[in-house]
Amino acid sequence: MNTEALKDLLYKIADDQLILGHRNSEWTGFGPMLEEDIAFSSMAQDKLGHSLAFYKILHELGEAEPDTVAFTRNANQFHNCQLVELPIGEYDFSLIRHFLFDNAEILRFDMLTRSSYEPIAKVATKLKGEVKYHVLHANTMIKQLGSSTDEAIERLQNSLNEALPYALGIFEKSKFDNELIAEGIFEGEEKLQTQWLENIKKVLSQTHLELPDLNTITPKFGGRYGEHTEHLQPLLDEMAEVFSIDPTAEW
Amino acid sequence: MSLKSLDPRVTRLELPENPTEPTPKPELDQLITYEVFHQKKENAAYTYVGPVHAANEEVAFLFGKEQYSRRYACTGMWVTETKNVMVTPYTDEAVSVYDVIRIQPENVTENVGKTAENYEIFHLKKRGKAHQHMGTVSATSYEDALAEAKSQFGDKKPCVNVWVIKAADMFRSEEEDKDIWSTTKEKEYREATAYRVLDKITKYKEENPVA
Amino acid sequence: MYGGGNIFEATKFDDLATEDPVKLAEFEARIARGEKIEPNDWMPELYRKQLIRMIEQHAHSEIIGALPEGTWITRAPGFRRKMAQMAKVQDEVGHGQLLYSAAETLGKSREAMLTDLINGKSKYSNVFNYPAVTWADSNIISWLIDAGAIVNQMANAKGSYGPYCRALDRICAEEAFHLKYGHDAVVHMATGSPKQREMIQAALNRWWPPIMTFFGPSDKMSTHTETLVRWKVKMATNDECRQQFLDMYVPKIWELGLTVPDPKLHKNADGVWEYTEPDWVEFKEVINGNGPCNKERLAVRRTAEEKGAWVRRALLAPKKEAKYIKPLA
Repeated sequence: MNTEALKDLLYKIADDQLILGHRNSEWTGFGPMLEEDIAFSSMAQDKLGHSLAFYKILHELGEAEPDTVAFTRNANQFHNCQLVELPIGEYDFSLIRHFLFDNAEILRFDMLTRSSYEPIAKVATKLKGEVKYHVLHANTMIKQLGSSTDEAIERLQNSLNEALPYALGIFEKSKFDNELIAEGIFEGEEKLQTQWLENIKKVLSQTHLELPDLNTITPKFGGRYGEHTEHLQPLLDEMAEVFSIDPTAEW
Repeated sequence: MSLKSLDPRVTRLELPENPTEPTPKPELDQLITYEVFHQKKENAAYTYVGPVHAANEEVAFLFGKEQYSRRYACTGMWVTETKNVMVTPYTDEAVSVYDVIRIQPENVTENVGKTAENYEIFHLKKRGKAHQHMGTVSATSYEDALAEAKSQFGDKKPCVNVWVIKAADMFRSEEEDKDIWSTTKEKEYREATAYRVLDKITKYKEENPVA
Repeated sequence: MYGGGNIFEATKFDDLATEDPVKLAEFEARIARGEKIEPNDWMPELYRKQLIRMIEQHAHSEIIGALPEGTWITRAPGFRRKMAQMAKVQDEVGHGQLLYSAAETLGKSREAMLTDLINGKSKYSNVFNYPAVTWADSNIISWLIDAGAIVNQMANAKGSYGPYCRALDRICAEEAFHLKYGHDAVVHMATGSPKQREMIQAALNRWWPPIMTFFGPSDKMSTHTETLVRWKVKMATNDECRQQFLDMYVPKIWELGLTVPDPKLHKNADGVWEYTEPDWVEFKEVINGNGPCNKERLAVRRTAEEKGAWVRRALLAPKKEAKYIKPLA
């Protein structure tokens, strides 16, 4: 098995979860209503937990401790898609991002439960129920808000248009994609994207939102290769502010 | 100039340094409430946990799950809109509510042609505690359900209050979604038992004896 | 029965409680027997008013209390702290939700309470008007402010109003994690590097004066207070709570070699803690809006409400006809 390919896969999965979890924790205390504030915080914690689980597999493969990996790398060492690093914006943007991301994430987890690499399959099986709730949450809220007031529909439509090029960046292939498919570790981004598109169309068709023509959109690629927007490095600096006072200390 | 805060998240909210008066809110700005019941473990009776504000039962279910199950073991959840719950008066603790309420004797002719449906019956054993599911009765009305409940559960004392809810009005978690309730050992960071510092304190005291 | 506007006829209550003095006597007898009052029981207006006020302020304190610690939510060091800090602050919001619900059963809607908060009409715990300057401040809050809150809440959980007790039982269970988490973080800092130790001592120095005012000034015993004590609305005096807090936590601070910035603080021969009287003038100033963070706290809450208004409007949309009725219990 190609360890480099395996690590690349694990890093992109874990980095997505860490960065999105971090972003969503920015809502804690500021949510549009108390119950939704609580729900967003739970999902943020789940994402952090997921990234930790995958960083632990990386650690077993010889990478540094999860804390070191998460709190000391620079932006160009992160392999998350650019979608997750964008600022939280208003709630409509955060909800749309959550919808687009988690509908891909559940399919990814589903594939990973069948991974030939057992530690991945185990973690995916264990955590899948949480992602299932994330999707249930996203889809319910999108269906509800996406067919409510003109104001809500307009906001969500604008956010959907804005987020979509970045969402397509989720499926940017790594240079190991074919290898991972061949080895049965991961079924590949292309298959993932096809299923994802079907699923989000199904949800959006129950709303007044329209999915823009994907052929007119240029995906925002680069994240999987360490190329990021100007937003990631400040996020990482902020995240590490206390940790970097003394990286060897026990906090 | 927007407000610069110690919290970078607040700084990003770009609060005005001198806020204007808040705009008055329309009277309607109040969501309806739903009552949430949870099941602690398989086969345990569903128990009342509290309300959530929501737009419909699906949203209420999402909110109920996060508010009432995130820190406690849970294997299932029911929610219903508050208005669907029919409530008897509360009695003194020494008195069963079934002995106090006046239940209209069933009028056979009145019920002709009415189809029976299921109602969920909840008892409150003690004031200040939570309502617990006793069982389901088949009845043609809330009144009828209460009479039926009295004959089936009336001997289950104490009971200071009864809630009656149409089974059809209860939104329930799906059997196939059981896995959303599973929690992992890794979540112990939110349990008091995960924090043990006695060793650290003892070590500190040994190394730094009080002069 | 009530709920959907349907009322089952109650024989006993109607027979017994036609006169106010009778109702009052029954109400008081129930409390004296140690039974809880439930939302649709008859209750004196004063009882209702006081409880709404108290529970509402408690609820506000939770959601405003999420802000000082929230200051460090994106900067918590390491996975373990990062997740726990999120869970901890989340719990505060959750407690707010539980408490608003309890207050709602008394007849004031959540939106009305939030409006009063934003307009500065109703108060919240003064202590949250102080800033969490460093990560260590957030640890001190998690430990000692929550410890203070537990002393208060444990007492109130024995009060007479059913929905409040139910909410507090849940809250106290969750607070146990906060307290342990906060203590764990403080111990790590106090027994860690010299820099960490310096940070935690500085934070303790900053937070000690507000902590000492946390329980409020000594109660003036009036007939009003006596009534609230008899009705089990007020469960312990401010001084009792303060003494209990000092008794439980000062030794835990001292055993870490930390100093409490009050040279007068000691336990006297009668087992009573003596301390420098807190600055009640400043306390009043801060309550009246002139503390270091009052403006920011309210501005954040207001902005959150305004930015989230479209979501609430949208959620209301399909149910325009649905009428709000207060939650049941």
